[in-house]
Amino acid sequence: MTKPAIEINDIHWLMDILQNIDVGLIVLNRDYQIQLWNGFMESHSGLSPQSAKGQNLFELFPDIPSDWFRKKAEPVFQLKTRTFTIWEQRPYLFRFKNYRPITGRATFMYQNTSVIPLESVDKCVDHICVIIYDVTDMAVEHLDAKRLRQEAQSSKSPKQQSPVIPFADANQWNLSLEQSLDSADTSLLMLELRFATRPPSQSNYQPKIESLVSKRISASDTASWLSSYHIGLLLSHKDDQQSMDLISNLRSDLKGQFSNLDCPSLTAGISRSKDGFPNTQAWQKSAANQLRLQR
Amino acid sequence: MQQSIDTVTLTEEQRDCYQELTNVAMGQAADRLARLLDAYVVLPIPKVSLIDIEDLRSIIESTNDDESVSAVCQGFIGAGIAGEALLLFNDTSFTDLARLTRYEEELTHQTQLELLMDVSSLLIGACIQGIGEQLEIHFNQGHPVVLGQHCNVDQVLKSGNQQWRRTLAIEIHYTLETVNVNCELLLLFSEDSAERLNHIIEFLLD
Repeated sequence: MTKPAIEINDIHWLMDILQNIDVGLIVLNRDYQIQLWNGFMESHSGLSPQSAKGQNLFELFPDIPSDWFRKKAEPVFQLKTRTFTIWEQRPYLFRFKNYRPITGRATFMYQNTSVIPLESVDKCVDHICVIIYDVTDMAVEHLDAKRLRQEAQSSKSPKQQSPVIPFADANQWNLSLEQSLDSADTSLLMLELRFATRPPSQSNYQPKIESLVSKRISASDTASWLSSYHIGLLLSHKDDQQSMDLISNLRSDLKGQFSNLDCPSLTAGISRSKDGFPNTQAWQKSAANQLRLQR
Repeated sequence: MQQSIDTVTLTEEQRDCYQELTNVAMGQAADRLARLLDAYVVLPIPKVSLIDIEDLRSIIESTNDDESVSAVCQGFIGAGIAGEALLLFNDTSFTDLARLTRYEEELTHQTQLELLMDVSSLLIGACIQGIGEQLEIHFNQGHPVVLGQHCNVDQVLKSGNQQWRRTLAIEIHYTLETVNVNCELLLLFSEDSAERLNHIIEFLLD
């Protein structure tokens, strides 16, 4: 491999390119301290290179799951290999606003990343470069196509008169939560089931409750099991009264479905996106607190 | 592009040469995998062959299962030589892989994807760079794409520039000792790239 010889004068325009190129470039050292922060990163994060330089990545961005990112970055240091992450794994590494805030349909920027080793003179890898690509349009189209396919499939089966919304898995739930965080008005409901007697086995009660909840929510809503006895609901454009109505409807549904002794009691905490939360954890915490107050 | 009538050929000598190249590269890859997983990787003998579109179809079809993520492909290009690396897992491998890489969570669709991405980054990267180093070609890698779940085999094979009939494929079958993990790495070169590669190999042989 031949290395192109770089004249000192060329450095100027190379730096210009680094600053203006429309991908994010970050150089990190062994301690995950930021060594380079290019124009893309500055524009989207609002942090200047001066204030980012020397800072620990995970301290500066506590949102980044450090265990996860280390798993991707350590092989680069140790094995001199490249690693990649795609938006299907995690929608983004850095939470940035969508590049097209007006006509873009996603609230945040979906990102693919590459992590490449940077060899120093002694052939050791003391630094890595993280490259961030904006793949929002691709991801949105992909998700649209997937949804259309699902809709087409469910309309094919003639048995279902009213659409029953299936429960989301943890991954879909987190994605919906992220997407709803910046939306104008989405209510996050945390439901808790309590059994008076010894709770039946999960396989016994969960399908029953799932079908009850699914019938009560609409296509724009999301429901998911958060734990064995907790259900999360994301309802769009419902005020508190409408949410409360839904819960009382669910309570009477439960009474119809379970015998007196086995019937679980239902408690709910509500927290709405319009109150403004910095991240999804804070939002979920607020709903959990509301739930605690209701007990 | 000029349409060539004669398809790619492979002489016995060339086959040996590819096999040797791959041996070195995948040795490096296996070493990295062993260090990542802390397990002994059985070094296989790579299989160099010409495959046609029907062979590829059956390979991709076997991954087209809605339930699990089982394949990742990644494009690479350098010095006018282009190809794709395809990494395939059988489903039973995931449980053992998860244990080796210390993923504590439940084995969901998401964890399978993480595992697949981790291992593919390592194996594909090491193999391609290893082959590239020996041929003095720097290969650029694109982003990996998950196959299986989202792809319709017919669409993938029909669309675009799939004008090829037979092309060069290198198959490497990795297994781990004592645990039930096996995966298949497939390096596929486009038809015109295979011809170019053959030229480079001829130089090495002379």
